[in-house]
Amino acid sequence: MKLRPTAALGILALCATLAAPSVPVSAAGDTILFGSPVSLTGNLTKEGHLTQEGYELWKTYVNSHGGIKVGGKTYKVDIKYYDDESKNDTSAQLAERLIDQDHVNFLLGPYGSGTSFTVAQIAERKKMPMVEGNGAAEKIFNQGFRYTFGVLSPARRYLEGVLEMARAQKPAAQTVAITAASDAFSQEVAQGAAAWANAHGMKVVYNNKYPDTATDVSSIISALKQTNPDLILNAGHLQDALLVQKGLREQNVMARAYGYSVGPDTPDFANSLGKDANDVFGGAQWSDAVKYKGDPGFYHTAPEYAKAIMDTYHHRADYHNAESTAACLAFQYAIQRAGSLDPEKVRDALAKLDITTFYGIIKFDSRGLNLYKPMVVNQIQNGRLVTVWPTLTADGKPKYPAPPWGQR
Amino acid sequence: MHLLAQDLVNGILAGGILAVVALGFSLVWGIMNIINLAHGAFVMLGAYTTYQLFTSFHVDPFVSLPISFVLLFVLGYLIQRLLMNWIARAPLLTTFLFTFGLSLLVVNIALIVWSGDTRGVTTAYSGANFTLGDVTVPWAKLYTLLAALAITGTMQLWLVRSKTGRAIRATSMDIGAAQLSGVRVTEIYAIVFGLGAGLAGVAGTLISLSYSLHPTMGDLFLIKAFVVCVLGGLGSVQGALIGGLVYGIVEAFATQLDFTIGTQHISGSGLQDAIALIVLLIVLIVRPRGIMGKATA
Repeated sequence: MKLRPTAALGILALCATLAAPSVPVSAAGDTILFGSPVSLTGNLTKEGHLTQEGYELWKTYVNSHGGIKVGGKTYKVDIKYYDDESKNDTSAQLAERLIDQDHVNFLLGPYGSGTSFTVAQIAERKKMPMVEGNGAAEKIFNQGFRYTFGVLSPARRYLEGVLEMARAQKPAAQTVAITAASDAFSQEVAQGAAAWANAHGMKVVYNNKYPDTATDVSSIISALKQTNPDLILNAGHLQDALLVQKGLREQNVMARAYGYSVGPDTPDFANSLGKDANDVFGGAQWSDAVKYKGDPGFYHTAPEYAKAIMDTYHHRADYHNAESTAACLAFQYAIQRAGSLDPEKVRDALAKLDITTFYGIIKFDSRGLNLYKPMVVNQIQNGRLVTVWPTLTADGKPKYPAPPWGQR
Repeated sequence: MHLLAQDLVNGILAGGILAVVALGFSLVWGIMNIINLAHGAFVMLGAYTTYQLFTSFHVDPFVSLPISFVLLFVLGYLIQRLLMNWIARAPLLTTFLFTFGLSLLVVNIALIVWSGDTRGVTTAYSGANFTLGDVTVPWAKLYTLLAALAITGTMQLWLVRSKTGRAIRATSMDIGAAQLSGVRVTEIYAIVFGLGAGLAGVAGTLISLSYSLHPTMGDLFLIKAFVVCVLGGLGSVQGALIGGLVYGIVEAFATQLDFTIGTQHISGSGLQDAIALIVLLIVLIVRPRGIMGKATA
């Protein structure tokens, strides 16, 4: 029997939805069990692992400092993970499994806006509080959900800092080209950047998107090159950021500055590209240069946190680590304040939360979104990540305009 | 006008890689009637072989081409000989599930060995380019295309001229008749599966020059290989080449489509996957056996 292509494609799709390997963790009576479907494989693997590190670092800290006090009793914490393979639907199914079969007390978010959105729907249906630190699309918070809270600055603000910085330099950037992946997060980043540019007298000369599964973006780069922009922005994730940066280099596209929503902040960006990664800007939720002094109960400052990440995971702390840990911290303080593990009471405590952490202020608006923490801008200078904007938190000056390719 | 020329070049350069990715997949499917879902994982292994040789021993990616081929060939040969032969006559779903499981296994081993970090192979000539009129051509991608053409050319010659190549083609035409003429089918199957894996390894090496590496990278290419292979025609070397080029060029041109329906702005680049699949659908309707495919019973 010959297999027909159409039938084969069907089976292919079926196989792809099957199989979700689990990472088992046990739960006990004196333990608060958190659950998280997270991208341990799939196209967001790297970010998923950084998320998991952020969660695990918090868990280790809390457990080695006695645990969380809830109304006179002290609890250890544990986190159960499932691999959602970076797929939105899988993530939602696994969230349901965590709630129904593993009886987790609370949900920590998955990595990414797509997955956070589908998991938020489950959290809402099951009345299960979720704090997420890795889904910045505002779409998640515009549904009237009561049980989902996000510690991130929203997606639309990711590239505002880069725009603001480029506009303040001499010669100021006046024209902007934007490329964006087609997922919800990247689209909101792109829309936010375009809106900011237009509102501040900059001209958007190119604005286009590509599928988030793209393996080649050279034709978009060719079209962008023709518009000869001062500032080139990309709204996407690590994989496509690398693809775009390689494409710009290959086609010799010169601009005064290059800014990415995700990418430069991850060491993989500079490791993969070598010198071609230099002088690139990235919007970041956090950097180890931010100057907050956190409330008692966890590492107080960004440098202390960065040291803990370095000691444990042997790499520089990434903002994905920090925002994931921040999600755990929101729970830690809210549970303490609620004095109970009752989901409803913890939800209310989350809604009223107003704390300062190493990561910044965590306080939610009525939609569950953290609007109270600004973004920072980092730049890769000679292979090192330097925070360059806003000037108050900066530990270096922006290098602008970028020198020609081959001299970076 | 120059943008169209640039797109044509972009498309051909991207299509060359896709052709090599699809070639091994197509041979295994066409000759053994096995849809090898581990093909993407083999591509990934090829890419990581190159990465490892490049970072540890400074071996140029093009020099590592034969090494990727041989390593993956041996792996594929052994998998067929030791494992797949047990289920060679089993229903299609069995081989489907087997290769799917194999893919999960390989990807997860890679995650343990290399971790989920994204890596890149950046050579001295990465990013170097030249201009031809208004068209910019990156050297690395041009070399890749030339390598792709050389590989498909060699494969075609080998299948037509060599004794083993003829035995392979005979097996794909009629197993019974081939056996009667003294062809050892299990051996041929092992060679074909090894070839498929070896070609995947070569594709991985070529991909590592333009795309970043992570253990699950193969999935995206597996789906493209599937489309390219159906588009071009199963089991045919020319088919994989033509299919790859058509796919690459269609995707490149789709990027520049931009139109407005009512107030809704449609960007072709966001739809390049969809447009490529629509082309596939049209080809399947007009010519169900693919562009270069032969009509079979």
